[in-house]
Amino acid sequence: MVTATADIREPFRWTGMGYAVPALLLLAFFFVLPVLALLLRSITEPELGLQNYAELFATSTYARVLFNTFLVAGVVTLFSLLLGFPVAWLLAIMPQRWARIVFAVILLSMWTNLLARTYAWMVLLQRTGVINKMLMATGLVSEPLPLVNNLTGVTIGMVYIMLPFIILPLHATLRAIDPAILNAAALCGAGRWQIFRRVLVPLSAPGAAAGALMVFVMSLGYFVTPSLLGGTANMMLAGMIAQLIQSLLNWGLGGAAAFILLTVTLAIYALQLRYFSGAAGTAGGR
Amino acid sequence: MFKKLSIALAFTMATSFAAYADDLVFTSWGGTTQDAQKEAWADPYTKASGINVLQDGPTDYGKLKAMVDSGNVSWDVVDVEYDFAIAAAKAGLLEPIDFAIVDKKEIDPRFVTDHAVGSFYYSFVLGYNKDVLKEEPKSWADLFDTAKFAGKRTFYKWSAPGVLEIALLADGVAPDKLYPLDLDRAFAKLDTIKKDIIWWGGGAESQQFLASGEAPLGMFWNGRIFAIQQTGGNVAASWNQNLTAADVLVVPKGARNKEAAMKFLATATSADGQAVLATRSGYAPININAKTRMDAAVVASLPDAHSEGQINLDMGYWAQHRDEIAKRWYDWQAK
Repeated sequence: MVTATADIREPFRWTGMGYAVPALLLLAFFFVLPVLALLLRSITEPELGLQNYAELFATSTYARVLFNTFLVAGVVTLFSLLLGFPVAWLLAIMPQRWARIVFAVILLSMWTNLLARTYAWMVLLQRTGVINKMLMATGLVSEPLPLVNNLTGVTIGMVYIMLPFIILPLHATLRAIDPAILNAAALCGAGRWQIFRRVLVPLSAPGAAAGALMVFVMSLGYFVTPSLLGGTANMMLAGMIAQLIQSLLNWGLGGAAAFILLTVTLAIYALQLRYFSGAAGTAGGR
Repeated sequence: MFKKLSIALAFTMATSFAAYADDLVFTSWGGTTQDAQKEAWADPYTKASGINVLQDGPTDYGKLKAMVDSGNVSWDVVDVEYDFAIAAAKAGLLEPIDFAIVDKKEIDPRFVTDHAVGSFYYSFVLGYNKDVLKEEPKSWADLFDTAKFAGKRTFYKWSAPGVLEIALLADGVAPDKLYPLDLDRAFAKLDTIKKDIIWWGGGAESQQFLASGEAPLGMFWNGRIFAIQQTGGNVAASWNQNLTAADVLVVPKGARNKEAAMKFLATATSADGQAVLATRSGYAPININAKTRMDAAVVASLPDAHSEGQINLDMGYWAQHRDEIAKRWYDWQAK
């Protein structure tokens, strides 16, 4: 019997591989090769060596852009988590029928064109925009609030875009929690805050971590929203790469910056695989 | 991840949309200007020669360099900024112009080099929104006077001829003493209003800032002020010390249809081609005979009608110092 199962499995596995070849080839030719070519340019232009990397780390502007990139990604992740958790919880406890409608709204916003959504924020947030006009009319502020062309604008625009990516995994873990556990905690005398802090948060941590990591990594490489809603002082790595290559024609330096971004992203992904993906799988069983 | 994928793709591969061997590919900056270029140049050219002209864009210097470097050049004629053309010619990225086909005599000598012919020329002017401002700003110095003119002011975002010159003029530098640019002084002047600046990255954005009152004053391409006025916006321009610059047409080194490209340049720089373009866009013709074929009212709205006190931005200086200024510019902006 043992040999029989092996016989069935072995060829089956390879048949499966065959179907994946087109997609793998596509990735190899249009992702892996170009990335390698760019990496090569970063260590060969203008001459062979690591001078591009040395320049990136030695120049204060690039260091500041790198810091900005992590700052924005961190702030966006934090706010996405704070705003996403209640929504995910609501989705987990509300009747299926209603949950489906809320889901549709979330997904619909995800499927709408990114540029259209970002420009919409621009119209809403600018000094002469809807929000400021309303605040001025009600007398809450006498001067228009600076909501765009700064960190505030970038954070608002990006949190809005990232919310679904944190709500979906969080919702999955929250739904997997057995309500009996929460009842048990209440019966044992735990208050609402204690239940939240000592039962709900630890149990939902794997989903929160998976979502937060995804948002953080996606935010690191974001280009459109920071360039449209941020000021020149909020430049992020992707914006800088575009500038280096398109305006300064410095492919070597641009390649180095792109490679740093890729390395950081992969490192964070590896971290996730190492510490969180296993835990996410067992969350429901605990 | 998708973001990263597309960035890596866009930057690493010279996009080469395979055009048929006989088609000519013209690349410009999109929007109303490229529409006008199509109508003024491409359509008559196709009618006369039978060669189809494909429109591509926007112009991207990174792509242009990648195409020439890889020997896979899919653009035949490209509209670029003048200072880039001079620097690119020096770097060996451009084909020399064939003046047996293009008539050099008719082109304003300010806007022709061995590797580039004028596309159109324009002025940077001080534009303002009359609904918001009670008083009319009259000089570049007013653009830096936040006490007299409250609100945000908008400037061109990219490192290019214009902003630094305006800062120096506002600081009292005489027009004939502008070059070589005193960068320290220019940036120090800009520092005084840095927090009040919002940057426009493209013409449409500049129009939006001005027309909405988001920035009630700033520096603009004259054609954009013209365009807002055409649609009924209550804006005006001060032409005092207007600064001229030009777009030029170039043929990338190794372009597939070199001869057809030269013939296209001949059409584009002809008196007729330039007259139609100027009428449609509000930018000035680079052909010295074009104005005789244009409506007098349109001619009066062009930079040529404001030559008193007009200053020509020094493209030779910029081509030479382009990279060092750009580096300092973006460092300063990111601070």
